[in-house]
Amino acid sequence: MRQAPYPIARRLLAALVALAPIGAAAAQDAAPGRITGTVSLASASSRRLATPGAYPGRRVSPVSEREASELRNVVVFVRLSGAQAAPAARVVVRQTDEEFVPHVVAITRGSTVEFPNDDIVFHNVFSLSRAATFDLGRYRKGATRSVTFTRPGIVKVYCHLHSHMSALVRVFDHPHFTVAGGDGRFTLDGLPPGSYEIVAWHERVGEAHTAITVASGSASQVAFSLPLKDP
Amino acid sequence: MTPPLRSAAPRLVVWLTGVSFAVIGGVLALVFVLLSWQTRAGIVTAAAAELERSQQWFAEIESRRAREWRLQAMTLAENPTLKAAVDTYLTETAAGAPPEELLPTIDQELAKLAEVLDAQALAVVDVDGRVLSAGGPTSPDWRRGQLVPELQHTDATIGAAVVAASRLYLATYVPLTIGADRVGAIVSAVPLDVAYAEGLASGARADVAVVHDGRIVASSSGVPPGLDGARLARQEPFEADGELLVVRRLMAVNATHTYAISSVTQAAAVATAGLTRVFLGVGLVALVLAGLASAWMARLLSRPIARLTTSLAHMTDTRDLRQPLPRDGVILELDALADRFNALRAAVLQAEDESDAAYAGVIGALAAALDARDPYTAGHSQRVASLAVLIAETLGMPGDACETLRLGALLHDVGKIGINDAVLRKTTRLTSEEFDHIKMHPVLGARILQPLEFLRPHIPVVELHHERPDGRGYPHGLVGDAIPLAARIAHVADAFDAMTSARAYRPALPASHALEELRRHAGSDFDARVVEAMIEVWDARLAPVGGVVSIDPLPFRNPSDYISSVRSRAAARDSRLVAS
Repeated sequence: MRQAPYPIARRLLAALVALAPIGAAAAQDAAPGRITGTVSLASASSRRLATPGAYPGRRVSPVSEREASELRNVVVFVRLSGAQAAPAARVVVRQTDEEFVPHVVAITRGSTVEFPNDDIVFHNVFSLSRAATFDLGRYRKGATRSVTFTRPGIVKVYCHLHSHMSALVRVFDHPHFTVAGGDGRFTLDGLPPGSYEIVAWHERVGEAHTAITVASGSASQVAFSLPLKDP
Repeated sequence: MTPPLRSAAPRLVVWLTGVSFAVIGGVLALVFVLLSWQTRAGIVTAAAAELERSQQWFAEIESRRAREWRLQAMTLAENPTLKAAVDTYLTETAAGAPPEELLPTIDQELAKLAEVLDAQALAVVDVDGRVLSAGGPTSPDWRRGQLVPELQHTDATIGAAVVAASRLYLATYVPLTIGADRVGAIVSAVPLDVAYAEGLASGARADVAVVHDGRIVASSSGVPPGLDGARLARQEPFEADGELLVVRRLMAVNATHTYAISSVTQAAAVATAGLTRVFLGVGLVALVLAGLASAWMARLLSRPIARLTTSLAHMTDTRDLRQPLPRDGVILELDALADRFNALRAAVLQAEDESDAAYAGVIGALAAALDARDPYTAGHSQRVASLAVLIAETLGMPGDACETLRLGALLHDVGKIGINDAVLRKTTRLTSEEFDHIKMHPVLGARILQPLEFLRPHIPVVELHHERPDGRGYPHGLVGDAIPLAARIAHVADAFDAMTSARAYRPALPASHALEELRRHAGSDFDARVVEAMIEVWDARLAPVGGVVSIDPLPFRNPSDYISSVRSRAAARDSRLVAS
């Protein structure tokens, strides 16, 4: 495990490890294993603004909801050295109330993300990221544009017209990843038995990783707390 | 002529002009100094208030400018490309793969914006205060990766004093936010150096000093040396190098303050310069007027005095006290002086006349005494005088000449005082020596009268009353008209009275005989015209009264009569003069 790349606000640092044993799956030889666990954010990001900046916030959702939904922005994945074949998918990231919803999506390489515009204003989706550089141009309510991501990596997505909007697309070249739920729970299915490095990653807070052994047909449990304390 | 003045004392004009000029000048100078001082004090107060007002005004402008500056930076912080590039770079760098290809985009964007905003430095820092990129002229101070501690974890959007590459900057810090998250900050900064101070100074029209941690780190050229931050922090007027300075804080950020410093003295000097010119002009005109007035006054006083002096000098030169001093009618005191002098002059004249009369009385008495020495000649001088006047009147001689003749005839034998009684009284025939002795008496008489100035007109009568028209007379043997008429008249009158008077050696001749004798010697011994006149006098004036020569006009019987006659004559001459 290594230290998160960003410093964290000391005031809110509190490790929370909530390990909830889940019903064990039936043990089967060579059957894929499962990893379940929870992610908790021990603190708000030190980057979180006390004040919304130059312009008043246009966010519709209340702050508490936003804090809770931050767990949905945590990507949990298995770090693998090689690529594995994975089916392409089609994912939708809506532009609603001047926000990308969902804020974070994780997809396999070759998948396509649609960016429909639900707002009455124009949006202009673009990215400067190395994994996918694109500019979808301006389009009105009801229209949609899509991007097919062909390289693994982190893709930050913005709107040229609304600089507070951002989304994140994490592209993997294997199928062993997921995004935590609003309650912090996650499940990784279909892992062959073996030892893995499992990573939980948040774009602002950084990542936490841990080694885990997956037994055939069994469920392993792991709990992440982000950010991590110094050992 | 009166000798020129030898006194080294200054003229009255100089005195009067000098004194009044000095007094007026002194008063003017005093008034000038007082007014100038009071006005200067007022102007200093007004200038101080004015400077404080303008500094306050400028401070407000400055704070508004800072606010606008911050708003500009805030607008910049909403630049989507910049934000996307920065966020993408930071996120991917954190994930272990720095996208270096984004940096030129960010650098270029910042350089462009810095140029548009005319910013000295426009930088992007991450949340740790580490410089990511910078644009603008001073961007070399903002090296990539450099940590600016003051910009670490700050929420401030206000100005901050930061040190980048050991230079002090005034920074406007605006967070770059995406959603509710701060990903870094955009920093617009200006170095707090001399150029900054000079720029502010030209705007504030005052000198500007930048103080950091109580130490002056930059100042415009006019800030006096030796100032310290504490002195400025009090923001109270103070004196430096003899100038009154007012101080106002323009900006305060953390430990960094800028102060405007203005010289009240200089501001006041500009205002008082015009006033001084006016004062000097008015003072100069007043001094010139004072000088003219003084000169006029001095002339007013000195001219009558000079006129009096001239009159006195003229009197002295001509020895003539008859002309009274003129009254000027301008100055009471000078008129009084002239009047007093005229009174004095009249008194002196009177005294002179009296002393003349007294002297003449003495001489006359002497003559009478001489006559009285010899009973045969008693009354002779008085009779000759009366007779001579009668003859002169008959000949139409002017009154003045008659008077001269009268006294001359009266004194004609005064020289006989130097002749021996024995010779004078001798009844027998005189020897030629004795006769020569007798003949000295006209010259002796002239010599007696010579020292007396007022008797000099009579001398010819005395000296020449024995000259004869034929030149055989004595003492000089003058001929004809060379002998003054008065002397010729006296000669005839003398001879007539001598012949009609008894002598020790003969009885008196009858008048007819004497007249015959005169007529016989007319032209040789006596002047023919005078003899004719004598005969006419006898016929018309003396014969009717029995041949008695009246001695009525003779003054010597009673000297005071003569004195009053002299006085009346003087009064007649001075009739046009004002009597005191």
